[in-house]
Amino acid sequence: MEKKKGGLLGTLWRTKKVSFFCMLVLLAFIFAAVFADALAPQKMQNGMLQSRLLEAMQAPSLKHPLGTDAMGRDLLSYMLYGARTSVIIGLTCTVLTTAISVVLGASSAVIGGRFDLYLQRVIDAWQCIPGMLVSLILMSMFGSGIPQMILVLSIPGGIGGSRMIRSAAISVKDSGYCNMSRMMGGGSHWRLWKHVVPNVMPLILMNLANCLGGTIMAESTLSFLGFGVPVNTPDWGALLTAQGRSKMYSAPWIGLAPGIAITLMVFAAAMLGDGLRDVLDPRLKGGMGTFSLKKIHKIAAKYVASLKKEGAKANAKA
Amino acid sequence: MGKYVTKRLLLLIPTLFLVCLMVFVLMRMVPGSAVEMVVYNFKQNGQVITEAEARARLGLDKPAVEQFFVWIWGMLHGDLGDCLFRGDTVWHVISSELPVSLELAIMSFIISTAASIPLGLFCAAHPDTAADVAIRTLSVIFASVPVFWIGTMVLVYPAVWWGYSVPLTFVPITKGFVANMKMFLVPSLVAALTTCGNNIRFVRTCTLEVMRQDYVRTAWAKGAKERRVMFSHAFRNALIPVVTMFGGSVAGMIGGNVVIENMFNIPGIGQQVVTALSNRDYPLAQGCTVVFAIFVMLVNLIVDITYKWCDPRVTLE
Repeated sequence: MEKKKGGLLGTLWRTKKVSFFCMLVLLAFIFAAVFADALAPQKMQNGMLQSRLLEAMQAPSLKHPLGTDAMGRDLLSYMLYGARTSVIIGLTCTVLTTAISVVLGASSAVIGGRFDLYLQRVIDAWQCIPGMLVSLILMSMFGSGIPQMILVLSIPGGIGGSRMIRSAAISVKDSGYCNMSRMMGGGSHWRLWKHVVPNVMPLILMNLANCLGGTIMAESTLSFLGFGVPVNTPDWGALLTAQGRSKMYSAPWIGLAPGIAITLMVFAAAMLGDGLRDVLDPRLKGGMGTFSLKKIHKIAAKYVASLKKEGAKANAKA
Repeated sequence: MGKYVTKRLLLLIPTLFLVCLMVFVLMRMVPGSAVEMVVYNFKQNGQVITEAEARARLGLDKPAVEQFFVWIWGMLHGDLGDCLFRGDTVWHVISSELPVSLELAIMSFIISTAASIPLGLFCAAHPDTAADVAIRTLSVIFASVPVFWIGTMVLVYPAVWWGYSVPLTFVPITKGFVANMKMFLVPSLVAALTTCGNNIRFVRTCTLEVMRQDYVRTAWAKGAKERRVMFSHAFRNALIPVVTMFGGSVAGMIGGNVVIENMFNIPGIGQQVVTALSNRDYPLAQGCTVVFAIFVMLVNLIVDITYKWCDPRVTLE
């Protein structure tokens, strides 16, 4: 295998330029979300953007780069704060989803036996209910709000994703080194965290980006259906449903901006996921970070050097 | 074969029981709002009903376990309960609206399959050419565009530009086939878009993986025509993952169609669920969810049976 320069990012830059730029786009969204307060021309007051009806429905101009909406709010500010909502929900959900799927999938594979059997049957049944419906039901139970949305989007996603982690973990579990570890007295906990999780890591990383895209799409869809964030919280999907739809003709910029933003973000996440898959595909290369060739070369070099020394000594004696 | 299908159908029963249990638990987690809603709705109609009466009407005055078995027992007798606000039985609502949802799902499935298999195969046959890159990029864009956004634009702009407005009055297929197809064409195209975007790339990846195999090289070497190599050797062997993916996309489509039905004013179950959930009409929402789950289970069964046809080596056990 050729030498890796600059780790994962370096490989991504050298082999997958498009994916690298998509990652930059995602970072730009995150930047916009973090510094929304500084960047936005119109600041949030009391947790919401105040309406200024005198400036309603203005087309994009220098003062309002993206125009204003039907309530006179500056659309650029709305989009920036909306990015905050999307990024918070997207990132937290991605982490939570991954955590749930790893814990469920890997523990089901490692513990095995009855636990695995029953858990899988329950997941089978759960999978039969379409994810969108589960989210809708849960949202109408919990009520709208960002923390609720995070839970509602990550639980079904995590349960669905655990399938893939489980099948990958089973193949690791049946491998020689894992059986060896068991023979040497490694408990299921030890095997889970020391062997199985690090070896399914490439798969997990690969799915992070895809999960991000899916979550953002699901979040805006829920908001669009009116089951999402509370009123007055800036959100792209909610903007589309509240105003973009009815004003699509008279003020197309209101509907276009959130649509393009969602598309761009999901597209960037999908392309990044594609690139990461090509770089990390566990079927093409060995597991990542679990086996360092450099270290072995070093040890071998030391050993060879010591052999040579001994040989030289022996020669000198003779 | 028959034995296998019977066995699988019998195995659906415990799964279905679990699904029912889950749906029931999900629905009963916050029952208070339903009671309030019933009281409120009766007040709107000029009737006065106390909270206890509303509770009894919903069957919520009994213990949860009893409620569950009453519901299951009713379901076994084809009685899914009454809608809270529509004055109709849940079974009647579902049986009149399921065909509409099915029609939308089947049409969008046909469109997405008819588009994604040829395009995916074309990309696999000419990998990394300009056409391949263009199709792939477009398909990622298709998969990234929110369905509800495209739907909104389709509803507005054609009407403005070409004077064509998407027909939004629902015509049952029994009343007029052509009018019905006109009504369903645009929604199913929009619904097919996302699925298509995902499936094109999947067909391409799977076929390319097979095309690295030795037997495909042999097929080329012995002078087989491109069409024969692509269809009989490469695609035939890539079918299993493709069928799995397509089956999965049917389940995803049902979720996506909730949005489409809502937008294009199609009176299907998806729209019904959204309305039922915002009205807190629990019996109706429960019934619809269970019907969706049964549908997904049957699709999974069909996918498993199709494996046998795709790959004769597969033994159905």
